Amino acid sequence: MSDRVKISRDLADEMVAHCLEGRPNEACGMLAAKAGETVKVFRMANASGSPVRYSLEPSEQLAVYNALDEQGWDLGGVFHSHTHTEAYPSPTDVRLASEDVPYVIVSLATEPPEIRAFRIIKAEWGAEDGEIQEVPVSILG
Amino acid sequence: MSVAVRIPTVFRKFTSGEAHVQVDPGTIGELIGQLDNRYPGFKGQVLTEDGSLHRFINVYVNDEDIRYIERLDTKATEGDTVSLLPSVAGG
Repeated sequence: MSDRVKISRDLADEMVAHCLEGRPNEACGMLAAKAGETVKVFRMANASGSPVRYSLEPSEQLAVYNALDEQGWDLGGVFHSHTHTEAYPSPTDVRLASEDVPYVIVSLATEPPEIRAFRIIKAEWGAEDGEIQEVPVSILG
Repeated sequence: MSVAVRIPTVFRKFTSGEAHVQVDPGTIGELIGQLDNRYPGFKGQVLTEDGSLHRFINVYVNDEDIRYIERLDTKATEGDTVSLLPSVAGG
């Protein structure tokens, strides 16, 4: 897995826009990457429809995976917003972390919104606890 | 082998990093058995101790969720793609 999230200013702005548009609820989506650089932001629905919880609809998640395969892209990350808290994994984020990719968190508590990314490392993928390691985010351009 | 299985990132440590593997046609339960034979320990990641599908894993045969078909008895035939999708959620 990449040790850094590289994303253009335009794509970072698109990700932030999706998060802002999702208010008052958390917004979420996935990032496609090629050669370690983000190439697309998949704006996805928050199936939980909650200001404090997000979840992906599996059928929409499948459509993203199909698109990744068709384009030869990698899953570069999962992003979601924190509407009022810092850009840092919550206990819920850690407990429910499942994919072995960077989790990008967009905090809407600040202006401009803050973007940070983290790996959540678990001994077993379904474990409730995990180690949080920050992954640098490079916004290009 | 003619059924493609899409492996989620978190399970690729079992498959030496392979994101897609090929298995023989059969039920999803049988496919998981094939994967466990080839990659010891794989079954324990996907199934609970009572043999049912882990609640945080969604399995699709092509575009159909097996929960709405025959669950682990759902058949995957030649040319099908089976996708193992971990639930993605947080807060």
